[in-house]
Amino acid sequence: MAAYAFATVGNILALTGDVDMFQTEQTFSGGVFHHSIPNGRAGADIIVTPVELLARTQGDGSKLFSLKLSECQLELGGASGRMVFCRNTDSSLTIFCEERGFPAALSSASFGALDDRFRELRSLQRSQNSRQWFWVSISLLLIAVVCAGLYFGTLAAAQVAVRSLPISVDEKIGQMASVSMAPGIPLAEQHSATVLVRDIVEHLRPYSAIPDMDFRVVVIQDEQVNAFALPGGRIYVYTGLIRHAENAEQVAGVLAHEMAHATLRHGLQKVSQSLGIVVAMQFMVGDVGGLIAFGSQVAQESVLTSYSRAAETEADLEGARMLHTAGIDPAAMGEFFEIMKHEHEELPAILSWISTHPQHDDRISEIRRFRDSLPAAQYRPLQLSLDDAKRDIGQQ
Amino acid sequence: MKHELVCRPAATAVRFTLERGEEVTCEVGAMVAMSSGLTVETTSKSRGGGGILTGLKRMFSGESFFLNHFTAQRENQTLLIAPSMMGDCIHHRMRGGTLIVQGSGWLASHGNLEIDTTWQGFSSAIFSGESMFWVRCSGTGDLFLSSFGAIYEVDVQGEYTVDTGHIVAFEDSLQFRITKVSSSLIGSFLGGEGLVCRFQGQGKLYCQSHNAASLGALLGPKLKPR
Repeated sequence: MAAYAFATVGNILALTGDVDMFQTEQTFSGGVFHHSIPNGRAGADIIVTPVELLARTQGDGSKLFSLKLSECQLELGGASGRMVFCRNTDSSLTIFCEERGFPAALSSASFGALDDRFRELRSLQRSQNSRQWFWVSISLLLIAVVCAGLYFGTLAAAQVAVRSLPISVDEKIGQMASVSMAPGIPLAEQHSATVLVRDIVEHLRPYSAIPDMDFRVVVIQDEQVNAFALPGGRIYVYTGLIRHAENAEQVAGVLAHEMAHATLRHGLQKVSQSLGIVVAMQFMVGDVGGLIAFGSQVAQESVLTSYSRAAETEADLEGARMLHTAGIDPAAMGEFFEIMKHEHEELPAILSWISTHPQHDDRISEIRRFRDSLPAAQYRPLQLSLDDAKRDIGQQ
Repeated sequence: MKHELVCRPAATAVRFTLERGEEVTCEVGAMVAMSSGLTVETTSKSRGGGGILTGLKRMFSGESFFLNHFTAQRENQTLLIAPSMMGDCIHHRMRGGTLIVQGSGWLASHGNLEIDTTWQGFSSAIFSGESMFWVRCSGTGDLFLSSFGAIYEVDVQGEYTVDTGHIVAFEDSLQFRITKVSSSLIGSFLGGEGLVCRFQGQGKLYCQSHNAASLGALLGPKLKPR
């Protein structure tokens, strides 16, 4: 039969027989709540014995408090959530301690009697913590949703507002982009190629969506088969494109497409889509300068990359419409794509106009379908020849 | 050391009367006036030790890297200190145990007190309206705390709720959690209270009547840009 006897350390004189001796007292630092202490609370050294908890307050007027383990009611809490509170039955005395070994000392001193209560308290605390996490996560989510709403709301509003800006903003952006990008060496104003391209543009102008747009033509001495338009109507054509075209109608097809980009204001659309939140907010409070600076930057990038697939198709159809009303067969546009398609494999590096205008098979059939849907019209050939321009380009 | 809280509660200052050899540790910049027989030593160490790391941690809690130690070289020296914010100061006598003080709430201490910083968990760092880290004062001695506005002292028994941004200090025998103020989350936010701090347990809690962040939010939009 096993039995226990307690002795104060140092008082055991001798042991006989089969007796295990172990030290059961352990000291911790903690505190006491009791009405007899000034302010009701004091720090204390706590001794855990198998019978009771002893707490000796620190400082002057030290007092000793004792709490029977059999009466001890446990609670967990404190700033760390790990503090153990032991109260007597009427809660007039509370001894508390945060040290790590304290729960284990209480458990072994009470021979496991307090273990169930500890388990219960810990699971309660866990559930309270998870509830707090739940509300904190909900709040974070709410904040994130509000921020995202503000962010995308501002962007969407700015996009709508940008599209209602006057054409003069397009021109300003185009002008700034043309200064900063310096596309290459332009041919003289009187050069036959420049004259040819200008004539075609002037021929198409009355049929464009914005006839009084400031269309300006620059022909660049460059073997790339390329042409592009800046916002506001500046159109750049590379000599390589003229060299590869079979007739003036095909050049007109490309020009109609580029003019359509300008009149459909794809540049500004691109600017509004790439707006950062800072520029959008500046713009919404009335600062158009930042938008124009940003626009000229985007305009430079967007001609080097490309417009969206939808914008290209839109420009194709608007170009085809212009050609049709101008009495030019829109099929010429498709023909030029066809030429480019066949020569694509041979001249991959220089065909940048095609490479930035992908999927020309789709586009050719799209243009064809659109042409078939148009009312029948009498198409007249343009009274312009590419021969002079091609010859003069070759002499450069 | 004797102390007196003067001009309470709107513009409270603390007047210390120090005998030879007595020392008070104050927040940097808190000194208003002092007698000629006081020496000032500026270090990053608090009474309980520490050094550069403790100083850095203190900076994260909204206090300064350095602390000023005022030591009386003669009898009967006076030192007048005041916090940078308009408001009240209180004296809290520490008898062992720990007091957890909101970021800039610690003003001065005397005696065998250790000033350290503590982390009160992720959610309280974000939502309590206080600094990420808190100042942890432990030991025995006198502690002087400052607030924005007036300070209310509450002896918590059970549960108590304080709005975020209004905590000055609490004893470590109190546990606090961030919760919503009413049973509905939407109502909590529409009521202007949003999340609150709910204290549980037994111990002393100090809260302040005003909240610097709310004042800033009120004034900020009315200020003209330079």
